Amino acid sequence: MSVASRSAAPPRLPPGLAGLLLPVGAVLAAFAVGAVAIMALGVPLGEALTAFWRGAFGNAYAISASINRAVALALVGTGFVFAARAGLTNVGGEGQIAVGGVAATAICLAPGIADLPLGLAFLVPLLGATLAGGVWGALAGFLKVRVGTNEVISTLLLSFIAVWLLYWSVQSEALLRQPMTSSATLPESLPIPVTTQVPLLTGSYSSPVTLGLPLLVVIAAVTALVLSRSIFGFQLKAVGLNPVAAARAGIAVGASIVTALFLAGAMGGLAGGLMLQGEQYSLKAGFSSGYGFDGLVVGLLARNSIAGVIAGALLFGFLRSGGISMEMGASVPSALIDVLQGLIVVTIAGAAYYVDRGDRK
Amino acid sequence: MDGSGIVTETVVPVPGTRAAAPSLLTMNGIGKSFGSFVALAGIDIDFAGGEVHCLLGENGAGKSTLCNLVFGIHRPSEGAMRLKGEAYAPSGPSDALARGIAMVHQHFSLVNELTVIDNLLMGGSRGRLDRKAEARRIEALAEEFGLALAPFATVGDLSVGERQRVEIVKCLMRRPQVLILDEPTAVLLPDEIGSLLTVCRQVADSGCAVVMVTHKLAEIERVADRVTVLHRGRVSARSDRPAEEIPALVSAMIQRPAARSGEAVVGAIALAKRKPAGPRPPAGEAMQLDGVSFDDRTGVRRLDAVTLSIERGEIVGVAGVEGNGQSELGAILAGLARPTDGRWFAGGRDLTQASPREITRSGVGIVPEDRHAVGSIGKLSLADNLFLNRMRQFSRLGLIDRRRQMEKARDYIQRFDVRAAGATVAFGSLSGGNQQKAVLARELTTPNLRFLLAAQPTRGLDIGAIETVYGLIRDAAEEGVGVLLVSSELDELIAVADRIVVFYRGRIAGEYPADPVHREAIGTLMSGRSA
Amino acid sequence: MTLELVAIFLASSFRLAIPLLFAATGELVSERAGVVNMSIEGMMLAGAFGGAIGAAMTGSPLLGLACAVLAVLPVALLQSVLTNTLRANQIVTGIGINILVLGLTTLGYREFFGARSRTTIPGFDAWPVPVLSDLPLVGPLFQQIGMAWLAIAIILAVGAVLTMTGLGITLRAVGENPQAVAKAGRSVLALRHGAVLFAGIMSALGGAFLSIGDIHTFTEGMTNGAGYLAITAVIFGSWKLGRTVMACLLFGAATALQFQLPALGLGIPNALLIMLPYLLAFLAVAGLVGRQTAPRALAQPYWP
Repeated sequence: MSVASRSAAPPRLPPGLAGLLLPVGAVLAAFAVGAVAIMALGVPLGEALTAFWRGAFGNAYAISASINRAVALALVGTGFVFAARAGLTNVGGEGQIAVGGVAATAICLAPGIADLPLGLAFLVPLLGATLAGGVWGALAGFLKVRVGTNEVISTLLLSFIAVWLLYWSVQSEALLRQPMTSSATLPESLPIPVTTQVPLLTGSYSSPVTLGLPLLVVIAAVTALVLSRSIFGFQLKAVGLNPVAAARAGIAVGASIVTALFLAGAMGGLAGGLMLQGEQYSLKAGFSSGYGFDGLVVGLLARNSIAGVIAGALLFGFLRSGGISMEMGASVPSALIDVLQGLIVVTIAGAAYYVDRGDRK
Repeated sequence: MDGSGIVTETVVPVPGTRAAAPSLLTMNGIGKSFGSFVALAGIDIDFAGGEVHCLLGENGAGKSTLCNLVFGIHRPSEGAMRLKGEAYAPSGPSDALARGIAMVHQHFSLVNELTVIDNLLMGGSRGRLDRKAEARRIEALAEEFGLALAPFATVGDLSVGERQRVEIVKCLMRRPQVLILDEPTAVLLPDEIGSLLTVCRQVADSGCAVVMVTHKLAEIERVADRVTVLHRGRVSARSDRPAEEIPALVSAMIQRPAARSGEAVVGAIALAKRKPAGPRPPAGEAMQLDGVSFDDRTGVRRLDAVTLSIERGEIVGVAGVEGNGQSELGAILAGLARPTDGRWFAGGRDLTQASPREITRSGVGIVPEDRHAVGSIGKLSLADNLFLNRMRQFSRLGLIDRRRQMEKARDYIQRFDVRAAGATVAFGSLSGGNQQKAVLARELTTPNLRFLLAAQPTRGLDIGAIETVYGLIRDAAEEGVGVLLVSSELDELIAVADRIVVFYRGRIAGEYPADPVHREAIGTLMSGRSA
Repeated sequence: MTLELVAIFLASSFRLAIPLLFAATGELVSERAGVVNMSIEGMMLAGAFGGAIGAAMTGSPLLGLACAVLAVLPVALLQSVLTNTLRANQIVTGIGINILVLGLTTLGYREFFGARSRTTIPGFDAWPVPVLSDLPLVGPLFQQIGMAWLAIAIILAVGAVLTMTGLGITLRAVGENPQAVAKAGRSVLALRHGAVLFAGIMSALGGAFLSIGDIHTFTEGMTNGAGYLAITAVIFGSWKLGRTVMACLLFGAATALQFQLPALGLGIPNALLIMLPYLLAFLAVAGLVGRQTAPRALAQPYWP
């Protein structure tokens, strides 16, 4: 197979201002559309915005939930940027989160794990989730190197497979489903032991921001440094821009591709682990729903900048929380948030032509 | 000038034997600029039905630009064209086609996955196809012009010559008034060239104006009715009796008297013939090929038991029509392909299975024939490209020490005369000559360099850059580097190399000292005949 | 396994394959022309929605079908202009459109039908084939609605156009080597726009089959991955029409088997069957099942 891997790469680093104006402009335009839509739905704008504000920033719990969501999205987005640097489009975030969630659950519930000292009780499952996601991503990289399979197709298919693996694992008692005591037993795993939960920064469930936030900050900083300044980042960039010339220059192209997708997957897996151990505490079908594609969109929005990933993740994190609150408080369907998100993606993808045109002679 | 019918430095066409034929297409005062670069200026030319009109000129003389204007790919910056007396300003290729102008490009526009017949029908009819009837029609057409075709073969399986025939038939199906062929013989084997020229003659005899771009004099001798010579975007000569006036055409083409003794003509410049080296630098083997063979993916043997060894300080030229195994040899030496058979060594180390990195570490420098696809990364900076394979020298805890890199880059830029606005500009924004100098800078500074492959190092370069590039390669040889110089320009090889091996169908067909007296014999070998 | 169960299984396999057949055939044509539409999912959803609204408002499923196509056209146009004219990344564009359409249809559905109501919508009646539908075992296969026969007719027509007409050759060429098509004097953009619009119309039919052909209702996000399944069928079918059709039927059978499992008392996990199409396609692109040859210019924007 020789499906276009080159053109599947996301838009390139923009020259200066246009790169910043584009996403900001797209977001503002989408908000304007959203405001019009709210009014068209017959809801007073003020009321809807109040409900939105309450859901997104209204209290410590709301803010914490938004931040936790943003952390997961930012991890997936960071992974996307990592792969994109090597010219790869990782659309498998959803599956990598799912695999991470399954691995985290399995390890948390494994005998002995909950009794590990020194925080290992939650670190070991997190590590397992990260590795599982990484392996899931690396699988696509391996196929690309050995068979030439386009990573867009393979990560997408692997994503579906992972989502149904998760479904399977909570459906089957032989896997992770909690023991069936009655016919009403839900198809989900047992809750994980308290010691395996990711600690909350405040220690209080009323503002449940987890250790994931500082972890993300460290990961994002390291990633930004690696991509812009390191030999490894340089090699990834060379592979992404011209694999043949990179190979001639002695760069291990195959290994770079596998590593880039491993890292992208690992970040998705870590996001899954954090979501499970820091928020949901038991594995359910639909666990990863929407996070993967949202994360992909965040990576795209960021146009290859880690700072952009953080900004985009926060935007979407708060958008979602606010959207849910708007639905409950002002009966504006939260589907409106989907519309806005879709508009943002479509606008940015389409406008990339005008920003990147200068790149092509 | 002598008293021939050649008209030099004027724009007045001289009536000749065939000028009585009606002019189909005329160009008056045509000029074309790309930005500040003037590709063509003040071109007056006419093409008549029934003639084979050759456009002669060196690389960059403006021949292809002229064809592209006629075919509507570019629009003239000034001047006007007339087709059969009517104004002709094609808006694009499809417009040109509709007006009866057809063009065979250097790069074929065929779909490899489709059959010959489907390629011929593609873009034409929209309705239901009767492939058998179409095949009969096409075969009849092909027969008329002596073009053998297998309509139901898949194009991807055909040889280059066969594909070109498909291209020509595709053009002829439209019964064009003007058929343009842009360097059609560059990719052909000698016997294929012969039959192509016959086809050109037959097409012209059917009343069509055939415009053929070439820089090969033998073809002009055989087939041209008229010749227009272009030099740096202007008409430098015309001839109605080209076969009799070859020497004058050559000097019009290169704008200087034919080669004096002791010099070989390289494009429009003359490189002083390399003096036989006095005291040789410490001799020893730089590189050795031992029965290297290579089969491509379809099992076709591209390289056949090539054995060759190069001493340190020696420049060995590889002559041959392109596609006779040179690219495959280049890929093997670069570590991007593995020989099917045989082994190769540099500095006594067996590098047959070595990775590109190991090859570089063994003191082998590679200037690949495709500097865009293999030799550089256009979107990275000049500084990054200068150290593409040796970034690690700037590593500090895994991070790149940009300051040190820039210092060293500036040093290289100065030493190798790379003209750039700075070390951080995108490599792709440099001119071809400066890109090549940068690639050479990188490869010539390979630690412990003992062997350099320079494949088509002057392709697409201007004269000044060609001189610099060969100067650098010669300096390297003086310092004891063994050089394998692959070029499709035989004259360059004669000027620069010590000896020349001739590649034909993946084999070394023969070897000669690089002396102009062997030019004829080498040319014969290149065409597959034995000398 | 009783004979009756087999008969039901065969019929429901076919029925469940029909939306895939529509969408995958459309996507096949588009991918042959070099454009991947991840938005098949969104286009099917828009079709299902448009069909439901149209049928509910007019009371005529046929007019509903027309509404389905009308609803999809702007979506397909958006996909086509973004990827062909503006040369946007095809994958990203498609995913963005999917999110957009999911949001829009959900909003629109709540506006029209009120939240969470399950209005039944007028749908098509079965159009049994005389004689054949009375046969034992395979009889139920021939008791489908007219759209099923439409799907088969379109597939045959597409097959004929692709192999036997100039348009077919040109379409294929544009996915392999668009430059050659341009040099032959045909517009690459026009061909690709046409191919994407065709994929859109086919998705509309597939989506409408779900809402007004099959279950006579619309639910939020009711395509539930059918679009991705159609793309998967094209991949598994190695970009060939016959194989893609077989892949759709196979996927239909896998889905049918899920519903039959309890009756059959087989110990196959349900999830495995749902996963099966993706797993098969994955094995195929991994080179473990046959050789895959995607069109050479697939997903590459055309620059003249």
